[in-house]
Amino acid sequence: MTSLVPLDLLALSAALLGIGLFGILTRRNFILLLISIEIAMNAAILNFVIFGALSGGPGGVSGSAIAVVLVGLAATEVAVGLAIVLALNRLRGSINVAESATLRL
Amino acid sequence: MGVLDGLFGWAFLVPLFPVLAFVIVGLLGPRLKSLEWGGWVAVAFAFLAMVTGIVIGVGEMLSPGRYTDTSFTWFTLGASGGSGTFPNGFSLVMGTLVDPISALMLLVVNVVGFLVMLYSIEYMHHDRGLPRYYAELSLFLAAMNGLVLSDNLFEFFLFWELVGVCSYFLIGFYYEKPSAASAAKEAVLVTRIGDVLVLLGIVLYFATSATSGGGAGWAASGFKFAAGNGPFLGAAVGSAQSTTLTIAGLMMLGGAAGKSAQFPLHVWLPDAMEGPTTVSALIHAATMVAAGVYLLAVVSLFLGFTPEDRLAIVAIGGFTTFFAATMATVHRDIKRVVAYSTISQLGYMVLAVGAGFTMVGLFHLFTHAFFKALLFLAAGAVIHAVGTQDLFRMGGLRKAMPITSTAFLIGALSLSGIPPFAGFFSKDDVLGSVYSQTAAHPLYWPFLILAYAAVFLTAYYIFRAWFLAFSGPAPRDPTLPDAHEGSWVMTLPLVVLSALAVGAGFLVFVPGFAHLFLAPTAAVGLAANLPPVYGTTEILLSVLSVGLGVAGLGTAAYLWGNGRTVTLADDSAVQPVRKLLLNRYYFKVGYDWIGQRGVYTVARVGDFLDRFVIDGAVRGMERLFARLSDGMRRLQTGVVSDYAAYVVSGVVAFLLLLLFVAPWIVTAWGG
Repeated sequence: MTSLVPLDLLALSAALLGIGLFGILTRRNFILLLISIEIAMNAAILNFVIFGALSGGPGGVSGSAIAVVLVGLAATEVAVGLAIVLALNRLRGSINVAESATLRL
Repeated sequence: MGVLDGLFGWAFLVPLFPVLAFVIVGLLGPRLKSLEWGGWVAVAFAFLAMVTGIVIGVGEMLSPGRYTDTSFTWFTLGASGGSGTFPNGFSLVMGTLVDPISALMLLVVNVVGFLVMLYSIEYMHHDRGLPRYYAELSLFLAAMNGLVLSDNLFEFFLFWELVGVCSYFLIGFYYEKPSAASAAKEAVLVTRIGDVLVLLGIVLYFATSATSGGGAGWAASGFKFAAGNGPFLGAAVGSAQSTTLTIAGLMMLGGAAGKSAQFPLHVWLPDAMEGPTTVSALIHAATMVAAGVYLLAVVSLFLGFTPEDRLAIVAIGGFTTFFAATMATVHRDIKRVVAYSTISQLGYMVLAVGAGFTMVGLFHLFTHAFFKALLFLAAGAVIHAVGTQDLFRMGGLRKAMPITSTAFLIGALSLSGIPPFAGFFSKDDVLGSVYSQTAAHPLYWPFLILAYAAVFLTAYYIFRAWFLAFSGPAPRDPTLPDAHEGSWVMTLPLVVLSALAVGAGFLVFVPGFAHLFLAPTAAVGLAANLPPVYGTTEILLSVLSVGLGVAGLGTAAYLWGNGRTVTLADDSAVQPVRKLLLNRYYFKVGYDWIGQRGVYTVARVGDFLDRFVIDGAVRGMERLFARLSDGMRRLQTGVVSDYAAYVVSGVVAFLLLLLFVAPWIVTAWGG
């Protein structure tokens, strides 16, 4: 399991986080925002796998297990997010987050 | 004389009776069936006070030089058995001291007080404010009695302020008249200058005497007037404390000048004539304005003045006699003429007290109270009858008002110092006594000469008023209503006061009467000088002063007698002088200017400081936080990405902190 250089993997994870954050900060489209969140979240999932694998033994298995759970969690989160997108679109006729700056109409 | 001890212990009744009248009339007055009932209640209590006052006065005459002190300790500061300036603590007492001069003052205050109250029944009967009038007048009578009975300087000051506030109420009695309201304010503001000086003077005396020998016991006893102590501060003259004592004495002079309307604080008294004439007679002629002289007398007897103080007092008194008399010669308002005369006569008293003849000054106070109250009440009767105060509209009133006319004439003769009227004895005594000091104090000369000049002016202005009002065939203004004499209520006080104005001077030859003029110690010595001693010089001086008086009378008769009116040409050389006098030497204008420019400027500076510096600081803080919160508010855009950006920058900042700053701190503090 030592064939992979952890630093490279961590750099990949950091890059994913950076891309995700960049998307979160710059995108105004709600769907693109959700995609960016998913990318940033993948960085976190990747970290679980990496550190799990690094620690070896049962820790490696549990890291992968948590990653699977988190993938499921991300899917539900996207489902909720898309539901909000639909509701928002119906309510305001737009899914631009900058346009829904108030909590009430 | 155990009987007298018991009797004098009841001296507090004298102020108590008018206090009861004040409470009864003040609370119930408006609800009584007739407004005059309240007046009769006040008169009854004033009568009781007068009887008690006379009993005490007679008791004092029977037991020469008696000092009866009845007091209780109000509070004590500091424990006994301590150390420092006051080993036995410092206590303030309240009580009554019956001594010769307070017995004398009790006689003056209560006799005049009762007569004025009786007179007021008719004089004020038309007024709806009658209960208020009687309540305030009773309160004044109580305060004045309390003032003369005070046994310590602190209590004296309390009553001093109380008579001042009563004076304010009564000057402003017709408060719906703007001129009366402003005169009341003026009186209170001008006398306030003196009051503040008195308080400062008391503090100075306290500070000085508490640290020097002799006075510490006096200060510890709460400024008590005690017989036998004498003017203990005299011992300190020439010592290091001399300057402080002089300043304290000058402050007392300032207070007396405020209350007794001496130059330069004289401006309020003529304006105080806005009050009812009865008030002028009682408060602004006979009693309250004499409180300033009484203060000087008390300080002179119990504390002592330095020679510099005496010169200042003589200067103020002597100058005021002349200064006020000049203004009295031109005014048309009968009350104002008599008011200026009061200022001038108070000047004589101050002059005598300043020259060291305390008792002579008090003797003039005694006679002046009667003849000046008489003049005011007679003037009041005229005003009541014809409804104007303008002398140049009156005339020929002698036929319609014989009693009033004679009363005013007796008052005028007494005021002019014509023998054998009361004013002759006291004024002559004042002038002769001051003359006897000129050898030792040549600086007294100019003021003595001014006082002599004022004798001529006094006779002139008062007879000018008498001739204008009473002589001649008919009133100058034919529209005046027909004059008539008042009822017995008004004439009885005039008759009694006339008798006193004639006879009060002879009292000095009654043996017991002189007992009212005994100083607390023999050391005061020349203070007594009663009855006046007549040598050749004194007789010549008397001839001089009587001659001046007769000359003044003659001048007045020549110019104004038998209905004549003197009209000066517009380009006459005397015209500027007349204008100067009518404008009261522009003192009022000057004080108004000081008030408007000086005080108002200070007030505006204060306003600026308050508005822009203090308020500015508060408002600046407020604005700063408003700006800050406005800035913070702008962060709350509601846009999700913005919040995300804040979170990210927060995390980044925290990471930077952790990576760079934290290790630096750990190294620096040697973690």
